Amino acid sequence: EFDEESRKPTFNFKSYMLQRAESVNQALDAAVSLRDPITIHEAMRYSLLAGGKRVRPVLCLAACELVGGSESMAMPAACAVEMIHTMSLIHDDLPCMDNDDLRRGKPTNHKVFGEDVAVLAGDALLAFAFEHISLSTVGVSPARIVRAVGELAKSIGSEGLVAGQVVDIDSEGLSDVGLEQLEYIHLHKTAALLECSVVLGSILGGGSDSEIEKLRTFARYIGLLFQVVDDILDVTKSSQELGKTAGKDLVADKVTYPKLLGIEKSREFAEKLNKDAKEQLAGFDPEKAAPLIALANYIAYRQN
Amino acid sequence: SSSPSISAQSSSLKFDLKTYWTTLIADMNQKLHEAIPIRYPEQIYQSMRYSVLADGAKRASPVMCVATCELFGGNRLAAFPTACALEMVHAASLIHDDLPCMDDDPSRRGQPSNHTIYGDDMAILAGDALFPLGFQHIVSNTPSNLVPEPRLLRVITEIAQTVGSTGMAAGQFLDLEGGPEAVEFAQEKKFGEMSQCSAVCGGLLGGAEDDELDRLRRYGRAVGVLYRVVDDILEEKMKGGDDGDGEGKKKGFSYVKMYGVEKAMEVAEQLKTKAKQELDGFEKYGDGVVPLYSFVDYAVDRGFSVS
Repeated sequence: EFDEESRKPTFNFKSYMLQRAESVNQALDAAVSLRDPITIHEAMRYSLLAGGKRVRPVLCLAACELVGGSESMAMPAACAVEMIHTMSLIHDDLPCMDNDDLRRGKPTNHKVFGEDVAVLAGDALLAFAFEHISLSTVGVSPARIVRAVGELAKSIGSEGLVAGQVVDIDSEGLSDVGLEQLEYIHLHKTAALLECSVVLGSILGGGSDSEIEKLRTFARYIGLLFQVVDDILDVTKSSQELGKTAGKDLVADKVTYPKLLGIEKSREFAEKLNKDAKEQLAGFDPEKAAPLIALANYIAYRQN
Repeated sequence: SSSPSISAQSSSLKFDLKTYWTTLIADMNQKLHEAIPIRYPEQIYQSMRYSVLADGAKRASPVMCVATCELFGGNRLAAFPTACALEMVHAASLIHDDLPCMDDDPSRRGQPSNHTIYGDDMAILAGDALFPLGFQHIVSNTPSNLVPEPRLLRVITEIAQTVGSTGMAAGQFLDLEGGPEAVEFAQEKKFGEMSQCSAVCGGLLGGAEDDELDRLRRYGRAVGVLYRVVDDILEEKMKGGDDGDGEGKKKGFSYVKMYGVEKAMEVAEQLKTKAKQELDGFEKYGDGVVPLYSFVDYAVDRGFSVS
């Protein structure tokens, strides 16, 4: 599924993703060990190690290497963004939120461990993301690590991820949600953490301010792209294909790009975002930029 | 080594803790008010502000953090952002603890709890936003000329561990799960952790050495647990010793319920002694140690009301 659309014959995206996801999985497994109290750590690991494509951590690692850093400099940050992503899914799935029973093809966290443990496991993953990046990042100046911590915090709080979720909840069932508000939701709910993943990688890898900002813009485009494609998949694919409940946006009466623009125009919009994203990479070494270009294509053309 | 300790304890009598504390409460309330401005989407900021700026908040963590920072000659400006962060992450924990799926507490400090006003979904999100806001606040507002970055990273690590899976989240989990061995540990986690973290963070920001941080860690934990044990004793005495079915306001474990008043008073005495012992040797820093002694005495005698 990964090699579709990969551009350069010299770059094998499928094996790149598999190898990268494997290192991320190993790092996550090692980072969140089974400790007392066992149940909380089991719940954390249940969702964190449930598979998933590890798009965010891989973006983080790829951005780090693009600006001249090594994998080890960004691995704790890569794990941290995946912990945050997982935490937001656990809380999002709760009955008082989206009330989802299925996630990545498995029962959701609260279905297995109960709502109380699910809330705590999410909180613990959030806290651990900050502990991990602060304590375990090596080979990077403390000033850059502090900057990365600030960036992560800003991306996931009330100016970022949470803001998107709040406006999303407010928009449910409303008939007059426009493109601007939809874009606000996605830029915060989805793009913020993707952007953060790329920015963290470029900060920790030693990128210059102008490199970091170019990559930030790149990530913002692919973040929005990610959501447009998600919306399209939600109406065109089955639950089994997606590994999560399909059509739930329709059931929840959520506004989506297909609903506002139609499927065709949504696809065109996705094409444009992909193109705009890649333009940001024009000034970088093409060989080192290959993984990010392929990731953008993957996000644009993925089937689940 | 007992004579400097005695002199510090006697100047503790002259030290006006109430003024020290109430002045810091006013400072903290102002800083927290500025730290959480209302923006779009407004309801999340209102929900965050509702809990962080609740009337009657004692700001015990900030006071502890500022005092331990100043003990080592640190500028309190170095401690304020972390002091704010401690209140933010603590509020986040409490908001989540009160949820129907957790302790199911409709009120907190005599006010409706966060989810009662804003709904369960917003309460979840307000907590999820307050945790990172704490870290963001430290990074953005700590004067870089006062605190070197490696120290700042240790502060962030300390706070993350305090609220995380082996800290307060563990305490809450064990409290929910119950069981005879879990309860005491749960109380330590829930009530010793914040105080311990506040003391250690202040020390880190003030430039304390590692062995001094270890002392502050034990001191802070003892003070936090002491405060709670005395709370339980006072509540029991207010009930007039009727320890039958008259269920107290607090849910969960209480030292008094577990061991009776006599034993709880013994535990309190031990904690008081232990906390003060940990301060031995800090006299070399001068009068800065006096507030730390006074916190121990206050935890026991509650000489005044700060809220």
